[in-house]
Amino acid sequence: MKKRWLALLLTGVMALSLTACGGGDKKSEGEGKGGDEGGGQYINTYLAAEPTTMDVSLRSDTYSSEIMMNVMEGLIRIEQRDGKYEVMPGDAESWEVNDEGNVWTFHLGEDRKWNDGEPVTAEQYVYSLQRSADPATGCPNSYFVSPILNYDAVSTGEKPVEELGVKALDEHTLEITLTSPMASFLESTDASIFYPQRKDIVEKYGDQYGAEAANLVYNGPFVLTEWNHNSSLRIEKNDQYWDKDNVDLDYVDYQILKDTTSIANAYDSGQIDFITVSSQEQLQKYEADDSNVLTNISGGTISFQFYNTTDPIMSNVNIRKAFSLGVDIEDMNEIGFSGLREPLYGWIAPALSVDGKSMREVAGDTNKELKEELEASGKTAKDVLIEGMKELGLGDDPSKLDVTYSLAGTDDWYHTFGEYLQQVYKESLGINLKIDFSEWDIFSDNLTNGNYQIGFMAWGAYYNDPYDMLSIHLSDFNQISSNWKNEEYDALCRAGMTEMDPEKRMQNYVDAERILMEDYVACPFATSVSHQFSKSYVHDKYAEYGQDNLYFIHPGWKNVYVEGR
Amino acid sequence: MVKYVLKRIGYMIVTLFAVATITFFLMRSIPGDPLASMARTLPEQTKANFYAKYGLDQPLFNQYLKYMKGLVTLDLGESILYAGRSVSGEIARTSPISGAVGGTALVIGTLIGVCLGIVAALNKNRWPDYIVMFIAILGATIPVFVLASLMQYIFAVKLGVTPASGWGKPEHMILPVIVMSFSSVATYARYIKSSMLDTLNQDYVLTARAKGLSEKKVIFRHVLRNSLLPAVTIFSSSVVGVFTGAFVTERMFSIPGIGFYYITSINNHDYTMVMGTTVFYAVLFIVMQFVVDFVYMVIDPRIRVASDK
Repeated sequence: MKKRWLALLLTGVMALSLTACGGGDKKSEGEGKGGDEGGGQYINTYLAAEPTTMDVSLRSDTYSSEIMMNVMEGLIRIEQRDGKYEVMPGDAESWEVNDEGNVWTFHLGEDRKWNDGEPVTAEQYVYSLQRSADPATGCPNSYFVSPILNYDAVSTGEKPVEELGVKALDEHTLEITLTSPMASFLESTDASIFYPQRKDIVEKYGDQYGAEAANLVYNGPFVLTEWNHNSSLRIEKNDQYWDKDNVDLDYVDYQILKDTTSIANAYDSGQIDFITVSSQEQLQKYEADDSNVLTNISGGTISFQFYNTTDPIMSNVNIRKAFSLGVDIEDMNEIGFSGLREPLYGWIAPALSVDGKSMREVAGDTNKELKEELEASGKTAKDVLIEGMKELGLGDDPSKLDVTYSLAGTDDWYHTFGEYLQQVYKESLGINLKIDFSEWDIFSDNLTNGNYQIGFMAWGAYYNDPYDMLSIHLSDFNQISSNWKNEEYDALCRAGMTEMDPEKRMQNYVDAERILMEDYVACPFATSVSHQFSKSYVHDKYAEYGQDNLYFIHPGWKNVYVEGR
Repeated sequence: MVKYVLKRIGYMIVTLFAVATITFFLMRSIPGDPLASMARTLPEQTKANFYAKYGLDQPLFNQYLKYMKGLVTLDLGESILYAGRSVSGEIARTSPISGAVGGTALVIGTLIGVCLGIVAALNKNRWPDYIVMFIAILGATIPVFVLASLMQYIFAVKLGVTPASGWGKPEHMILPVIVMSFSSVATYARYIKSSMLDTLNQDYVLTARAKGLSEKKVIFRHVLRNSLLPAVTIFSSSVVGVFTGAFVTERMFSIPGIGFYYITSINNHDYTMVMGTTVFYAVLFIVMQFVVDFVYMVIDPRIRVASDK
């Protein structure tokens, strides 16, 4: 044992002599390049958890998606050019939609191959979507494919999978028919559930398909070559990739790192090239050092408070109004979210656009306007609250009003946030607010059972269309259990979703959001911002690092190269 | 003796059955399910298809029977969270990793701890004793995550001699072993010190000294042997701890061990994985208890006499 300990110490010393010339613990052989060029084209980064599976039909977590977008190619790629979205060819070289807007045709490139040399065909796209729709598969990620004709009937087993609205017209032509027209469908096909799958591979590996690096074939810029569960993954450049000339990196190593302190230590010691920070302290620490480059990605995830409109107290619109307007949103961002998010004044986050135009810009700062209206009428939020209380026959003393605010977390952050809310509402409304802390699962159950009055939550948009966020409040979706029903709102959302004319669509969405905001169903607070630092030798071909990255781009590592490591 | 062993095995089976049953129903009484984190975005049909696939749509008692049947036939099922990975396969893959790190740390920690404990006892109320007790108090009070972070900062960030975290090379073991052995050092130092002081005051030590035995002989032949008895008890539970993995250490150093896995499974309601791991832990613990009793019989004649009756 003692000897072994010595040996360990020795390996430590040897490792030191290696790291001294490499920076980060890299393999000392097989690197090919090296010397003053700063080593090869590789990136060391991390994932915060183990990906669940690489099975396109069974995955639904963000960690597998991070890997999948690099090792798979879909019909299109959404990338950023000069600060704007650009839909680029993926496996599809071109595409068109019929005049009605419900039949999309994709023309696959004939040079598209899998890493085993097999061609990519339209039939593989059809098979993949059918497999996900098949109830026997148990796919947890049907969100994006439900607009496809007959998806619902197929997923309940009423119709056979062949009835799904996807057809291979020939080897390289794919036709997708939708239940109703949908202008945003093209961008939604960027989702991983649209990736092709090979029937022969699925059948060969059975249950084990997608569970190991070797049990899968890849058609993306990279190939998953190593997957040491719960520990590390490696993706290497795919020689069979149709656009391989535009892929610079030889490989990317992922380490699975969960703990924030450990992540910081790994970044500081040069073990990883990227870090996403979550505190003002860290943000300032890395900003102060020029060897780090900051990239902000913002605009798609929002934090908001929402009301149970069937609760005896919260059913009153004036009381909801008082709670929505009794918060200072700038102050909330400064103190509640320590300046790490951006203030938001409407339900739709800034990233969501219609035909390239941000809806937030068109709709304006709704919440600000509503506040100004209130001030112009010479009333305060407290006056509105008392009005509401009188309407309900609850007297006129806010300090006696019994309101509980539910938070979906029990850690320090939530406790501090809860105290902040109590203080805010004590000052602005004179209310003695109670706070209920519970873990997400319990919180979620309480929402479903209508067992709450006010809740707080974050929600991320799946794809770039305001409908994606507006649909949460549809009467028959009721996804945040606010139990709010409004026929006019439903009609406007659905009209916008199926409208092909961009201007009309925008107007429908803006009108719908207005109804939502003026009925005070939810009060948006902030847009989340992901603050990511990278070492200065990491470059992106199309983005000037340090600028904001658009929220819905998924270029993966395809456009990244290393210089001056 | 044979009767005693058979009786013990009978008890083990009953205990295991109880552990498996309680875990099953406790796990199911926690609000939420494997889809809980996505529950708000999923259509009903999608959820129904998913539950049907894993048999979660059956009545709870039927699921319990199915599970118990699997247990008897040593089939622990498949992970719900990680499609296509068998529970027994995952345990077989992760527990040796925990064992390697934890075992190394335990052996090193115990040896150092026992030595320090002896030094402290023999130098009671003199400076070596104070130093050892100071180390012991540190080891018992500093939270593991603080110690781990400190080690990473010193050895990886400042000195650059070891990787900060990771797994796969021998040098990845260094920091986690240091961190994990620290608590063993603290525990054993205190235990051995107190039991040794206890033994030193026994009559037979006085007798041995009166017989004119050298101090070395007194300590090694009489005192030490008797002082190590209580250490056997805690050592057994430490050994189980080795395989169950140290969750915090594994998380901080991203070691793909079983402790890390277990917590992830609980948080994600991965029923099969949690059940399998719990049963695995229980088996280890029960068997270890049995081994300890056996070892006691060997080293302590008084117990042997009692159990033969």
